[in-house]
Amino acid sequence: MNPDWLSYGPLMLRAAGLTLWLSWLAMLIGALGGTGIAFLRTSRFRGLRLLALLYTEFFRSVPILIVMFFCYFGVPLVFGFDVSSFAAATIALALHASSTMSEVVRAGIESVGRGQWEAAQAAGMDRVQVMRYIVGPQAIRVVLPPSVGVFITTLKESSLASIIGFIELTKTGLLVRESTDGGLVPLLALAALYFIINYAISLVGGRLERRFHIGSRSDLVGAMG
Amino acid sequence: MGYTFTLRTIYPYLGELGHAAWLTLSLSLLSIGLSLIVGAGVAVLRRSRSRLLRALGTAYVEVMRNTPLLVILYIIYFAGPGLGLRLSSFAAAVIGLSLNSAGYMAEILRAGLIAISAGQFEAADAQGFSRLQTFRYIIFPQVFRTIYAPLGNQIIAVILASSLASAVAVDEVTAWMQTTGSTSFRFFETFVVAAIVYLVLCQLVNLGRLALGRLLFRQGESLR
Amino acid sequence: MSPVLTLDGVVKRFGARTILDGISMDVSPGEIVCFVGPSGTGKSTLLRCVNGLEALQGGRIIFEGRNVHESARSIADVRKRVGMIFQHFNLYPHLTALENVMLAPVIVHKEAKPAVEERARALFDKVRLSHRINAYPAQLSGGEQQRVAIARALAANPHLLMFDEPTSALDPETVGDVLAVMRDLAEEGRTMLVVTHEIRFAVDVGTRMVFMDQGKIVEDSDPKEMLANARTDRARQFLSSIRG
Repeated sequence: MNPDWLSYGPLMLRAAGLTLWLSWLAMLIGALGGTGIAFLRTSRFRGLRLLALLYTEFFRSVPILIVMFFCYFGVPLVFGFDVSSFAAATIALALHASSTMSEVVRAGIESVGRGQWEAAQAAGMDRVQVMRYIVGPQAIRVVLPPSVGVFITTLKESSLASIIGFIELTKTGLLVRESTDGGLVPLLALAALYFIINYAISLVGGRLERRFHIGSRSDLVGAMG
Repeated sequence: MGYTFTLRTIYPYLGELGHAAWLTLSLSLLSIGLSLIVGAGVAVLRRSRSRLLRALGTAYVEVMRNTPLLVILYIIYFAGPGLGLRLSSFAAAVIGLSLNSAGYMAEILRAGLIAISAGQFEAADAQGFSRLQTFRYIIFPQVFRTIYAPLGNQIIAVILASSLASAVAVDEVTAWMQTTGSTSFRFFETFVVAAIVYLVLCQLVNLGRLALGRLLFRQGESLR
Repeated sequence: MSPVLTLDGVVKRFGARTILDGISMDVSPGEIVCFVGPSGTGKSTLLRCVNGLEALQGGRIIFEGRNVHESARSIADVRKRVGMIFQHFNLYPHLTALENVMLAPVIVHKEAKPAVEERARALFDKVRLSHRINAYPAQLSGGEQQRVAIARALAANPHLLMFDEPTSALDPETVGDVLAVMRDLAEEGRTMLVVTHEIRFAVDVGTRMVFMDQGKIVEDSDPKEMLANARTDRARQFLSSIRG
């Protein structure tokens, strides 16, 4: 008896939308947070620099899954308020994305030569203005392509939300599989959907790289998720 | 706030942690080794003269880069019985982790190979080195230097990715955190301990590669 | 005296393009043959055919009585007795200058390390780089690298030395150092094939100049003769354009 696979199509697509939404939210928070951490990293105060360094080193050395577990199971226990699986997933994803993004943003800022700063400051701009009108716009061009890589990584990591029960794409695929007596088709469809989404995004990233003449995907190394 | 961080509460569970840490370690080491071998194979494919083989290699890398590891693990875990194999969760996890990591290893190795100028092969040929000798004395040392840093990062990535094995019933460190946390309700403590284990593993890799690097590489400062 | 090297109707094609179109010539021991001509006319390819880096589509190359391209074995044997110096040096960057020179004799010729090291140090004296034997290629200038490359080729006791545009990638100041070493080698009586644009060197040191154009040998005579009195128009045109 072959189940009518196509009937599950809309369900899967809706779940894919949810996955994209989760990843996008986490990415946004992560990018903002990462930018903040990057500023801390380049701060004049040693304490702040150290703090930012510890932050990034921590999230680069622990698996995102245990952070997600802690956010979902630990936080309610420790702090007393309930955390939805969606919130827990978003926070965990955002924390990890922010740590990677802080490095990306930092590299972006540093890629803008000293001369730009000096010229702008010599013209009388203060630090905020220099950042806003001169260095910022240039840094963004450098930051954009690798950010695409970070987004793809976040998207893959969002599949972990299924483990804490959030019904995104992976969880939906597993549920479909259960209700159709097990089998590989739902899982393969899952893989195909993720592949198509991520591949398409990476093509956009490639186009951005070419337009800005910068190289290398920042997810080249392992970020498995 | 009624929660006090008390490490003592999970002491009884630390025994199991030892076993779990061992699983994490063996899972990671096996996967790193296997993924290097498979990755090398894929890297060779991508440099083949046959268009079909090159496309196959590229397809492999793209699939592994764009599909979540969790999905790959589920596919292998659930596909096993279907294919008639009785795959243990550990084996399924190793296979999934290795196949995924191999995609990244292939890219790392390919970058290392591309960095070798064609002239190196020519000079070696002209001097009469056999293919094996050329690879062993001239090509491999140079490739190794190029891939050293990304390789170290990939090793760390595999160690962290091993946490996903908990999703396919392997009792490694992350599973320990979950199980111990749910039985003792001490999620904060288990989180901290699990984090420490991973932190230690990653820092060991970092220290190791720094030390090894200092030992092996003495190419001198460039004149230009 | 029988020739060291004989080219007999050598044909080399890359796809549809014919790079070498029936090259025939002999080289006797002690000759310093300089190949000149416009870029892309197959001069470098010719050298690369002699030691099997390129395969032939027609003709034969006989080195010391042996057909070079007969088998993998014959190519391997030829490579042990022919030294090649490249335009871009091609030193092994992960090894010191001394290690670069010693590697092939030890690994390919399977000689004992102490004897090879002694010979290598003597060669460094010869190319006047004894003070740089422990430097890595990245720490050496272009001219120094090329001299190390020459020492590397000499370490295998070659019966024939081939130079593929040895000074084309060098700063003008260091060209002289390398040419001086090559002159010394010529005076020792070595057999040398040199692809070069240094007409001055060809005239001063070379015993024979071969002008090639479009895959064929157009003229082959004494360098001073050809410079003063080229027999063919193309040779004359080329030589006068070089002297500028």
